[in-house]
Amino acid sequence: MTALPVTRLSLREAVSRRLVLIGLVLSAAFLLLFVFGFNALYSRAVEETAGIGGRRAVAFGATMITVLGLYIVRFLGALLAIFLASSAIAAEIDSGLLHAVLARPLSRASWLMQRWLAFVIVTVGYVTIMTAAMLTIAHGIAGFTPLDPVRAVAVMALELAVLLSLGLLTSTTWSAVTSGVVTFCLFGVAWLAGIIELIGDQLRNQTMQLIGIATSLLMPSDALWRGASFYLQSPSVLIISRQEGGGNPFAGTAPPTAALIAWAVVYAVSLLLVAAWRMRRRDL
Amino acid sequence: MASADPPVRTRELHKRYGRHIAVTALDLCVERGQVVGLLGPNGAGKTTTVKILTGLVHPTSGTAELFGVGVADPAARARLGYLPEHFRFPEWLSGLELLRFHARLVGRDPGRHDAHLHDLLALVGLAGRGEERIRAYSKGMTQRLGLAQALIGSPDLVLLDEPTSALDPLGRREIRELIRGLAADGVAVLLNSHLLSEVELVCDHVVVIDRGVVLRSGTLDEVRTTSVEVRIRLDRVDQRIRDVVACHGRIVASDDQEVLLRTDDPEAVPRLAVDLVQAGAQVRALVPLQRSLEDAFVGLVRREEP
Repeated sequence: MTALPVTRLSLREAVSRRLVLIGLVLSAAFLLLFVFGFNALYSRAVEETAGIGGRRAVAFGATMITVLGLYIVRFLGALLAIFLASSAIAAEIDSGLLHAVLARPLSRASWLMQRWLAFVIVTVGYVTIMTAAMLTIAHGIAGFTPLDPVRAVAVMALELAVLLSLGLLTSTTWSAVTSGVVTFCLFGVAWLAGIIELIGDQLRNQTMQLIGIATSLLMPSDALWRGASFYLQSPSVLIISRQEGGGNPFAGTAPPTAALIAWAVVYAVSLLLVAAWRMRRRDL
Repeated sequence: MASADPPVRTRELHKRYGRHIAVTALDLCVERGQVVGLLGPNGAGKTTTVKILTGLVHPTSGTAELFGVGVADPAARARLGYLPEHFRFPEWLSGLELLRFHARLVGRDPGRHDAHLHDLLALVGLAGRGEERIRAYSKGMTQRLGLAQALIGSPDLVLLDEPTSALDPLGRREIRELIRGLAADGVAVLLNSHLLSEVELVCDHVVVIDRGVVLRSGTLDEVRTTSVEVRIRLDRVDQRIRDVVACHGRIVASDDQEVLLRTDDPEAVPRLAVDLVQAGAQVRALVPLQRSLEDAFVGLVRREEP
């Protein structure tokens, strides 16, 4: 087998450098915490509430705890993507790891795409496993059923692809730390803009809504998460949230629009192409 | 062989980093089976030249071809093996895993070429050490592994940038023998080294560059005899004799029986003999002194200094 040697080596690296092992141990601890916390909260809520209103409140609580837990999974996945991508290029060039590899009959664009693919596999794999585990736990304890978990993970995967492309692009120019900080800052700004847009929606303030939309164009990560979170909630809870015109900074009340998905795909692909172009021009 | 194009050919190669000029109008040709030493002081442009050939650095102008294929095309590197000067390998890999990875990069299935990889390890003196992690390798072992990596897939051209800097004298000798063996098999080798004695022992051609310009290139003997020193022993040395000698070069030293002459022209020696006899001098000895590559190198580089 000679296909995708760089992707295979990158995956091997994730295993060899204990990234996968440490990730699994910490994630197992996180899941354990989720089981106990969810269980305690849920049984207490069931005891203290009664009637139809009470049941609704319990369902709402179960959804919110699950979505919050998944928000943390998404956040960890995003951090993993930013760390992996940011240290992938400039740092490896400076340390002399790349010279022997890129002197092979392998184009730099191919090298970059193979790296990107490996990072997508690692981060999407992580988020998929964790999401599946948490939804299974929530279903087991509270009978919680989300609207469409497969779509949710697909949209989360798109967010990871966006972050990986941006991280690789910044890493063609900057050191690991600078590239990581820049990518993380944009990720944070998008989150803040998401909150501004949410408040803007509730206050019907056009300026605030515009800020949110403009930022989503610049960095669609938060818009994608809110889209993904729609599919992670239970239908009954969504009906309540939408009636109340609610939603919160952690969960959206509408599915991602086709325009958003299209923009995110264009964004991830074009940033990756620009990264490949910059990489090709660079003297090593 | 598919083509008659030389393993390396550059024409009018220029490389500029901002205002700094690294390489100027470099014409370089390496033929099959040649071992060419690229010499020059620090910052002369040696590593830049090698990096242009490997496609790692883009030339500002001019052309560089490997086997007739422009270096911008990754296919040019299909028959190339390269040991970079400052390299690092992923420390979490074992030596053998690194070789397998590079075998894949040149399109060889490591499963079917494992014997080749083990042979390479043995060739560079790492037999039986391939399963160890690179983390545990000494500097010398890492350099040997780098050399094995450069020889994967039996390349027809090998570029070695300071290949023996981390090796002890015994290791250096082994690598010299290895390089001579490659040349005997028709492989072209371009060697960058600060160790002139090393170059002298292994190279048949030498290119001396400084500040990006080729000062001199040719066979080892041609470069070594760039300037000759001749010891002239006479019955008696007077001013008239010294004037005759001075017509052929520069007198470095003289006493009442000997003159030491330095000249850039290897053909000066027979003419000098004729002139001295015609001037009535009793010539006892006329000895061209064998110069080392180092002497020639220092002479060439010093002469260029402003």
